[in-house]
Amino acid sequence: MDRIRISFRLNGVEREAFVSPEERLLDMLRDDMGMKSVKEGCGTGDCGTCTVLVNGKPVLSCIMPAFQARGKEITTLEGLNEDSAMKVIQDKFREYHAAQCGFCTPAMEIVGYKLIKESDGVPSKEEVKEGISGVLCRCTGYYDIVDALRSAAEVIKK
Amino acid sequence: MEVLMPNTLDEALRALVKNQDAVIVAGGTDLWPRIRDLEVRPERLLDISGLSGELSYIRKEGGKVRIGSMTTIAEIYESRELDGPLEVFKDVAAKFGSPQIRNAATIGGNICASLSSEDYITLLLALDASVVLKSVYGERTLRLEDFIVDKRTVNRKPYEIVTEVQFNDMTDGWRAGFEKIGRRNTLIINLVNVAVALRYNGRVEEARVALNRVNRKVPGRARAAEKALLGKEIRGDSDLEEAVEALRGELSLTSDFRASGEYRVALAEVYFKRIVKRLVGVA
Repeated sequence: MDRIRISFRLNGVEREAFVSPEERLLDMLRDDMGMKSVKEGCGTGDCGTCTVLVNGKPVLSCIMPAFQARGKEITTLEGLNEDSAMKVIQDKFREYHAAQCGFCTPAMEIVGYKLIKESDGVPSKEEVKEGISGVLCRCTGYYDIVDALRSAAEVIKK
Repeated sequence: MEVLMPNTLDEALRALVKNQDAVIVAGGTDLWPRIRDLEVRPERLLDISGLSGELSYIRKEGGKVRIGSMTTIAEIYESRELDGPLEVFKDVAAKFGSPQIRNAATIGGNICASLSSEDYITLLLALDASVVLKSVYGERTLRLEDFIVDKRTVNRKPYEIVTEVQFNDMTDGWRAGFEKIGRRNTLIINLVNVAVALRYNGRVEEARVALNRVNRKVPGRARAAEKALLGKEIRGDSDLEEAVEALRGELSLTSDFRASGEYRVALAEVYFKRIVKRLVGVA
């Protein structure tokens, strides 16, 4: 099968990959690039655990063809580990026990990060709920996640 | 599987005429799960994501609103052009998929999927929108109602690309409303959706009503209900009885594991009345 050579930026670094036509962005990130924060939950675009940023926007890597990553800037949680706002979010997730099994946590942190970055002030509860509505938590821990993100926003927006 | 990855519309049209078996992929949110499930097994793909610069726009000119087919649902949601009565586009976007899906899914992909769950088809039918198709041979404009043939079937020649949807700007007392009913707001496949556009100046001068299933398995116009609305001055539910009766006869809302047909029809009636009353300012 013919592989497709693509180049893109991953977490700020120029990368190149040879992807097969049906390969998903999720497979390329986890298997070829070693980005294990990107999780496969449903694989059908419903649960959001595979969320990554493409050109700064949250998208689902399980329903995006890998070849569409050409020329794009991809950001996974690994690329935000040194980010000061993300550090606050992760501290607050610990403080509020906002992770139970942890499977949805990287995606929750990424959509929460985007939401806080784009908000004028501290987002309301409703705004946070809408912001994270595309990520399912199977442990039903939403209350703690919403509180953690609002508390993080209070620190970040100070 | 071979993937063609043009960078311009011209390149794409030339590649497509030579590879007419190619399946077009835009945002991928509808196609990619189906490829994974082996529901479709294309030999060839034409990836038009490289055309988003050319085909992603929202313009008002000459009394028409033009939306490029690669415009994402998130771009519609954030658009400043879609104001006044056109805000109805945002009502659809706000309940479309999830925030992540809105960043990838395109309006062109939504109409080409041709399913009763594609909310923009219903809205655009109520606006009597047209679809612009381009090919190496030229361009043609087709009414959306004639473009949507049946479930997963549209009136597109294998060498054509949908580049735009367009409709008359809503002036002159035109107003439009949309409702979608599901069990939650995010990621829900509608049980029923309803879109109504009215030109109302004390009485209904023109009316267009669309729902997700009228006569076929795809969205369509409820013409009998439209006719029953004409000339009516609307002060309350009693002025809508005739139209509701007509609507009931036109729907093909069937039962499945999500809801019974009976329940769907009941919902359609309630939401139809609610939208019309809201549009004419009756509580």
